[in-house]
Amino acid sequence: MGCIMIFSGSEAAAKPRKLLMKGAEAIGEAAIRAGAKAYFCYPITPQTEVAEYLARRMPEVGGVFLQGESELAVANMLFGAAATGARVFTSTSSPGFSLMAEAMSYIAGAELPVVFINVMRCGPGLGGVLAAQSDYWQATRNSGHGDYRCPVLAPSSVQEAAELTLAAFELADRYRNPVIVLADGMIGQMMEPVMLEGLAAGEPVEKPWATQGCGGREPVVVKSLYLDPQVLERMNRRLAEKYAKMQTDEVQVELYNVRERHDLVVVAYGTMARICKTAIDRLGKEGLQVGLVRPITLFPFPVDAVHSAARHSAAGVVTVELSQGQMIDDVNLALGELGRSAFFGRSGGMVPTPDEVTRVFRDLVKRGAA
Amino acid sequence: MIEFDGEQARVEHTQPGGGKADHPWWPPLGEGLRPRQPVVVIAGGFGSGKSELALNLCMGLQAGGERVRLVDLDIVKPFFRSRQARGFLAAAGIGLVAPEGELFHSDLPIVLPEIRSLLRQPDGVVVIDVGGDTAGSRVLSSLGDAFVSGGYELLVVLNTSRPFTRDVRGLVEMVRGIAAAGGLVPTGLVANTHLLGETRLELVLEGLGAVRETGALLGIPVRMLACSEKLARRLQPQAVGCPVLELRRVLREERLGGEWPLADGED
Repeated sequence: MGCIMIFSGSEAAAKPRKLLMKGAEAIGEAAIRAGAKAYFCYPITPQTEVAEYLARRMPEVGGVFLQGESELAVANMLFGAAATGARVFTSTSSPGFSLMAEAMSYIAGAELPVVFINVMRCGPGLGGVLAAQSDYWQATRNSGHGDYRCPVLAPSSVQEAAELTLAAFELADRYRNPVIVLADGMIGQMMEPVMLEGLAAGEPVEKPWATQGCGGREPVVVKSLYLDPQVLERMNRRLAEKYAKMQTDEVQVELYNVRERHDLVVVAYGTMARICKTAIDRLGKEGLQVGLVRPITLFPFPVDAVHSAARHSAAGVVTVELSQGQMIDDVNLALGELGRSAFFGRSGGMVPTPDEVTRVFRDLVKRGAA
Repeated sequence: MIEFDGEQARVEHTQPGGGKADHPWWPPLGEGLRPRQPVVVIAGGFGSGKSELALNLCMGLQAGGERVRLVDLDIVKPFFRSRQARGFLAAAGIGLVAPEGELFHSDLPIVLPEIRSLLRQPDGVVVIDVGGDTAGSRVLSSLGDAFVSGGYELLVVLNTSRPFTRDVRGLVEMVRGIAAAGGLVPTGLVANTHLLGETRLELVLEGLGAVRETGALLGIPVRMLACSEKLARRLQPQAVGCPVLELRRVLREERLGGEWPLADGED
């Protein structure tokens, strides 16, 4: 095995074709295609493969790969690197995401575009290493202090994990705001065929605020400290307008089997939405019409889509999550005068089977009919 | 996390003629596929199909009347490991060696003490499924002294649909990396190019070509080609030039439904 080898070109590698990739790898590759220049990380299951992939790929594309001494360090490195205007990001899993909360607030306050990937594992505390969706509250409200919000994108396939990672960089630049990609451990770990060709960064956004050397102009300062209350309130109002605009312009949702009338309407995201689709297909064969509203953006939440689908549902709405019930708060807000959502969830790394979900839906439909 | 109960497996795999078996019916391994040594180590990159191959070899051996033990030595990730088929294996009467209790779900570097004695005195065939890439193979070096010289096969499973093994250069690097990390010399390569349910025959053959070239460069024989039963039926034996292992999917993830995974080799 110690001989010199001559390789005859790599046409196979150059030809656009699907690859078999883990969600974590697809996220890493999509970030490179989005033009990410720096990735800071601290390993944690179930997303360390993002780091493993980028440890190899970042040097190949002239980017920075840096493993920090902790998630706290990583999040503060992101602040500094983002202030230069470069596209920067990190990936972590639930306990690591908590550690980044303080810096995330500073990043939002300084209006820096940074992409945070959180591949959720089960908690609270160290919890376990298996898949969960129990960081919904943390991601969609805010993980740190102060009046700020972040767009939260939730993929339900490996292909979508790649596409939403790219979209996250675009959103972050457009709004000068941190953006979260919230995947669960299944999406991070499972492999699927992925087509990466065609995934490319959009038009570059002007960044006059970036600290890239004055070059004759007035210095710019990137900060989140405003001691004058009037100035800070103006700043908070401006941020609030930004978040309101996200709620008008950036909602993404998938409607599956949503029709005029339903026996039941389901709201679920990520891996859980896929399991629900399997159950919905099975119930369809039994003649039951079950519609699924799958939020792709968890913030902004697809309020109108949920409300509209729920209007003609005999058995109402059920929210299904890999948690003890977090997104259900947003579903209930969206339902308003229509009432409250039922709930089904598993947690601790337990992922329900389509059989289990099918039984739950069937029972709800029966109860609704009675 | 992904539990397979023997019940489900029994329903899906019936005896030819329609009669249900006490455990999943499986065809015995063909002559060219039977292990040449009592210990078979299955290594390869993440997503190369190691665990499916290990499970299929075990089932085929057991069907041929061998006493088989499967050692799950994947200590680098807690998802999609052969141990998740424990109910399936138990129904078939195949012994599984993996941590028990809550450590079953861990990705801690646990090497059970009985693995050493199994390597020294296999008593039947021992199939070892190690973790992916060089990181996964590193555990083999800690067992180096227990491997009996010449008493094992080390098969490296290769899938040219994976990002870092798309071409011969990547394949060579993978095989060398695994050999260096594990401290064992690979005895054979397994061509297992696939894209889950989107695998086409041309892709399988393209992968085989690249694996052949890799074997020629490294001086390691292509031990077998693995592909779904459906695709295997369409292969021209003379074009393959090595034994073909017809894979049956064991580690299915039915709950993700719909598009993943589809029936193998749907063209």
